[in-house]
Amino acid sequence: MKKVLIGGIGNVLLGDDGVGPYVARLLAARYEFDEGVEVADLGTPALDLIDQISGRDAVILIDSINTDAAPGTVRLYRKTDILRHSPAVRMDPHSPALAETLLSTDLFGIAPADVLLVGIAAESYEAGCSLSQPVQTSLDQAIAEVLNELDHLGVKHQCRDNPAELDIWWTTKDGCR
Amino acid sequence: MAQRITIDPITRIEGHLRIDVEVDNNAVSNAWASCTMWRGIEKILRGRDPRDAWLFTQRFCGVCTTVHAMASVRAVEDALKLEIPLNAQYIRNLILIAHALHDHIVHFYQLSALDWVDILQIPKADPAATAKLAESLSPWTRNSRNEFKAAQDRVNAVAASGQLGIFMNGYWGHPAMRLSPDVNLLAFSHYIQALEYQRKALQVVGILGSKTPHIQNLTVGGVANAIDLDSPSALGMDRLEMIRTLLDEVVQFINQVYFVDVCAVAAMYAEWFKIGSGVRNYLAVPDLPLDSKGEAYDLPGGYLTNGNIAGVRPFKTASDPEFRESVSEDVAHAYYQNGKALHPWVGETEPAFTGWDGDQKYSWVKAPRFKGEPMQVGPLAQVLIGYAQGHALTRKYTDLAISKIEAVAGIRVTPDMLHSTLGRHAARAIRAAMLAELAQKHWQLLVDNIAKGDYTVHNQPVFSGREVEGVGTHEAPRGTLSHWVVIKDEKIKNYQAVVPSTWNASPRDRSGAHGPYEASLLHTPLARPEEPLEVLRTVHSFDPCMACACHAFDPSGRQMAKVKVL
Repeated sequence: MKKVLIGGIGNVLLGDDGVGPYVARLLAARYEFDEGVEVADLGTPALDLIDQISGRDAVILIDSINTDAAPGTVRLYRKTDILRHSPAVRMDPHSPALAETLLSTDLFGIAPADVLLVGIAAESYEAGCSLSQPVQTSLDQAIAEVLNELDHLGVKHQCRDNPAELDIWWTTKDGCR
Repeated sequence: MAQRITIDPITRIEGHLRIDVEVDNNAVSNAWASCTMWRGIEKILRGRDPRDAWLFTQRFCGVCTTVHAMASVRAVEDALKLEIPLNAQYIRNLILIAHALHDHIVHFYQLSALDWVDILQIPKADPAATAKLAESLSPWTRNSRNEFKAAQDRVNAVAASGQLGIFMNGYWGHPAMRLSPDVNLLAFSHYIQALEYQRKALQVVGILGSKTPHIQNLTVGGVANAIDLDSPSALGMDRLEMIRTLLDEVVQFINQVYFVDVCAVAAMYAEWFKIGSGVRNYLAVPDLPLDSKGEAYDLPGGYLTNGNIAGVRPFKTASDPEFRESVSEDVAHAYYQNGKALHPWVGETEPAFTGWDGDQKYSWVKAPRFKGEPMQVGPLAQVLIGYAQGHALTRKYTDLAISKIEAVAGIRVTPDMLHSTLGRHAARAIRAAMLAELAQKHWQLLVDNIAKGDYTVHNQPVFSGREVEGVGTHEAPRGTLSHWVVIKDEKIKNYQAVVPSTWNASPRDRSGAHGPYEASLLHTPLARPEEPLEVLRTVHSFDPCMACACHAFDPSGRQMAKVKVL
């Protein structure tokens, strides 16, 4: 049984940055997975991500990307892509730290064998709880990429007969529409 | 001629700390701290149900999730004058303590230790000699030759690969690095072990809060944990015993490793007790309530000014009238429309971005002031304010730290020397040791209260039609956190969070008074200005947390920080 983390990363209060948690929750509501799979809304975990990915055979992260590509474009990154640029001189312990997390797991000998980042190009990071139209349109593609990766890993998944309740509370609570 | 150094994590969207210093004759002659991004996410809360606010505030920051959730429910409870059942207080206290222990361990080992420890000296260490040295300092059973050898092998493997990996950005071989190879190995070995123990602390948060990183068990009026001693799915003896086991392991790590390491490293860098003082006004609020009304606390609060320990003024409660009335935020040097300094309940956040100008506006951080003065918050404030009031637990661990440092350094150490970069590290270790003892106490309080047959965890909030104001505070790992809420017709009318790093990273105010980071950097000696390790040491000693508000991955590598010397 492979231990796999499917983790949505991002801040649900900052527009398209919430796409990672959104996709993670869609996956959890619509699909059933092999026993070793955990689907999680990780928020903006910084170095705590080390704890989340340690001990996993594979990690699939879903995150917004800050790029010049058209909003909604879905791009895939492997560990070598993420590590292409050296991590920053650290001023505070809480900044996004994907590259450092992966390097730390290398040092500690707890790195997952497979890492995939499913990136969705953002249109806006303005404070707000909803996704832009182009990012909403790309949700199914992002989900398909996660499922493809599971196939590639030999991990089973199937649609739920009765989809679970989808809890995207930040878009549905009173006052945020 | 003065030289200007900018440490700026250039990036388009993430908010980060930027530091600018002027260097004259190899010492800092002027300093500016700024934050590079506006968040303004408090506005999202307006118009919402106050009972939901904590779900949103817990997303302000990805690592400080729990503390923002807690301050939020406390703010609403303060506005509604709601009492909190004892079980809920103890469960919340345990969550806050466990989170703080996790945070302090991560801060020292993951963020700061490598400012003092030179990784590239480790291959020269002798694991057997390191073990002998370690045994003289602590009874920690994992201080064995085998553990040290394994840690050394990891560094050797990284060095042999030619890729420094996680260590590629350190200032290795810097003249300000002074530990012996054996001490470097000792600290690095604990850096590896720290990962396990911070995780155990986080597991406690997860068990009580149902989930991490975002706890699910809070509710305005208490907690949502079902207590049933016999049910495996509720909070019963099984889970309580699991929590106790985890806490005991973390407490042992704090006492035998973290506390000892900080004292040892401090003793070997004793000149840093004279560097990094800065603002000597300190502020802390009482925390860890012991009753349902919030009239008795395990940790004291108050304030003192100009380093005057004898002049300490205590706060009676976590929402003491003197605190409620004395906080304002000044925007003279922040990127907001000018106006007078405002109290958070009537706080405004109207951006007016001008670009960085050290003489005018240069930061997205407002300048919080207490009675018009800048205040330093954090473990040093917590410890000095407790010590000044004769608080027994604070005195116990402060005196212990001082005696340990004196034993290794062979110099006399006084509480006055805590106004410094090393003082902030020592105070954090002292605070952690205090919290470790209190973790076991509050676990026992919870178990004893449940044993009496009290299973109550929640009081129902009742709203009146009229407008009410509340402040929720928490003495968080980085210091005083306060959430300020105005409620009308069961909706949030205004919401402001004044966070610890806002106090410490504050820019100048209209009178020109520096914020704590800025003031602490003045006069710092720099051996090599182009490698400003000494600046990082002092800034890191505050445990800055500017923003992890936005997490986008930038494939172009634009999140790289850079040091620019002009």
